[in-house]
Amino acid sequence: MTRGVTRRPLIGLVIPAAVAVLFIAVPLIGLLVHVDWSNLPSELVSTDVLTALRLSLECSAIAVVIALVIGVPLAYLLARTSLPGRRVLRGLVTLPLVLPPVVGGIALQTALGTTTPIGTVLHHFGIVLPFSTAGAAIAEAFVGFPFLVITVEAGLRQRDDHFEEVAATLGARPWRRFWRVTLPLAAPSIAAGAALCWARALGEFGATITFAGSYPGTTETLPIAAYSSFEGSGQIGEAITLSLLLLAISILVLVVLRDRWLGALR
Amino acid sequence: MTLHARVRTQLGSLHLDCDLSVESNVTVAVLGPNGAGKTTLLRIVAGLTPLDEGRVEVDGTVFEDTATHTWLTPEARRVGFVFQDHGLFPHLSVLDNVAFGLRARGVDRKTAEARANEWLERVDLSRYAASRPTALSGGQSQRAALARVLVTNPQALLLDEPLAAVDASGRLELRRALRQHLSTFTGVRLIVTHDPLEAASIAERVVVLEDGRVTQEGSFREVSSRPRSTWIAQMAGLNLLRGSVSTGTMLLEEGTSLTVATNVQGPALATIQPRAVALYRKAPEGSPRNVLRCRVAGVDPEGDRWRIRLEGALPLIAEVTPAAAADLRLAEGGEVFAVVKATEIDVYQM
Repeated sequence: MTRGVTRRPLIGLVIPAAVAVLFIAVPLIGLLVHVDWSNLPSELVSTDVLTALRLSLECSAIAVVIALVIGVPLAYLLARTSLPGRRVLRGLVTLPLVLPPVVGGIALQTALGTTTPIGTVLHHFGIVLPFSTAGAAIAEAFVGFPFLVITVEAGLRQRDDHFEEVAATLGARPWRRFWRVTLPLAAPSIAAGAALCWARALGEFGATITFAGSYPGTTETLPIAAYSSFEGSGQIGEAITLSLLLLAISILVLVVLRDRWLGALR
Repeated sequence: MTLHARVRTQLGSLHLDCDLSVESNVTVAVLGPNGAGKTTLLRIVAGLTPLDEGRVEVDGTVFEDTATHTWLTPEARRVGFVFQDHGLFPHLSVLDNVAFGLRARGVDRKTAEARANEWLERVDLSRYAASRPTALSGGQSQRAALARVLVTNPQALLLDEPLAAVDASGRLELRRALRQHLSTFTGVRLIVTHDPLEAASIAERVVVLEDGRVTQEGSFREVSSRPRSTWIAQMAGLNLLRGSVSTGTMLLEEGTSLTVATNVQGPALATIQPRAVALYRKAPEGSPRNVLRCRVAGVDPEGDRWRIRLEGALPLIAEVTPAAAADLRLAEGGEVFAVVKATEIDVYQM
């Protein structure tokens, strides 16, 4: 690739490319420069940070579970059946990817709010979603689960149904084929999809704050806490600590998925 | 046990239209060129490809009958299908692969594993029980796939190009092993192959399938010595002629007449061994021989015999020694006389 006519890069392209690298690197460096490294350990274990972290992990974990339970079956149907309206369905699923998260939060509010029909029924059973931890988890799931569906569907499409056919000739019924053949073979893409979904849920801000608000200990997840401390109390130090925490988690996800993403480009 | 299949189905550009009967006392090979519908035939028997019209029955069990809308799911048919790529599950150990069919049919884990182990021993793969299929060579994975279906004791065994995924060096040994395992299996045995050598060495009966239709059946000897299609004649390395015989003269489709020694009358086929075609620079005189003026279309050196492709009066393949080829100064485009004795032409009814 780096031989022949492309050996000497066009100088005119190198300059904007360098700007692009700086564009990503400079803000991150700025963040790292402003970290108060000496106070960092004590700030990391402060109650506020720990509360937000625990809540974030809780909500994002629930979001991933929701996404897995409903997302994997949907991915399977999209990949393996000739469901009518499949293309429309796929478009619908990908919509939360491009939809401004605030709109998602408002949509959830109008569908599941306490005064709506569904909200009323849920309230009857003692369940109130808006401005609750469960609501935050649902907002995160709404925004994150398309990542899972798309990744798993692509994974299922990568293989045709050859091994399912083999299993059928060996006497395996449809459910056995699904559990013993389809799912295990799709495991790598399910794991990758879940990680993506989790990362997205963890960083979720707009839909969560709109649907669930920002109550410390109930719905104030890491990103919301970072924003509140930055905007409200002017404690930029705590905001930086929280940001650093989120950055570390993002890098972790990237490292875990590096073979899957970067490997494809190599 | 027997298998009866009457099959009419359209699949893309392939129109499969054939009747097939397989008795369990012989191994039957469906032999044909790529794209003839061989794999489709197996998939129909296994229930993986639906029929447009027809009926499949194994040992009295109707698998499919379009007239009565009968259709058994693949899992309900007791058919052992060894796929061309062997289809071993990559996420399971070799032992779990072999035990899969038994587990799927409700055998408890302990019994299934014990029986799978027995079979791994029979195919000499015990030491790979805990390995993933990727650790197996082509021949070993073939044996594992065979063990995986035989352990379930199917009514019919279907093998799709059993030696295709095995490198040439392992084929001889594997062919022997395959024959041995096939001989101990008492159900219907149907293999599909494009390789005449494989058909000859494994099967007792050959069904030639070309372009979705059966063109010939019989023992490999019968089929290869009296071919009824150009493809099978080529496979057997023979020149095949079509024409009509009347009192010692065969008028060929190409318009040429040949003197033949036969009692056959009317539409007929004839074969000529390439080595029975003698080549001369000048037309020889006298003797009851057929002399054909030809042009050399190609020379294919093959060891100590060179195959000379001729065109002109009749497309023919001749086989000569390299020395003879040199003496004749054979070169593409050169003119040559092909001589065939009447007694070297094997004529049989069309």
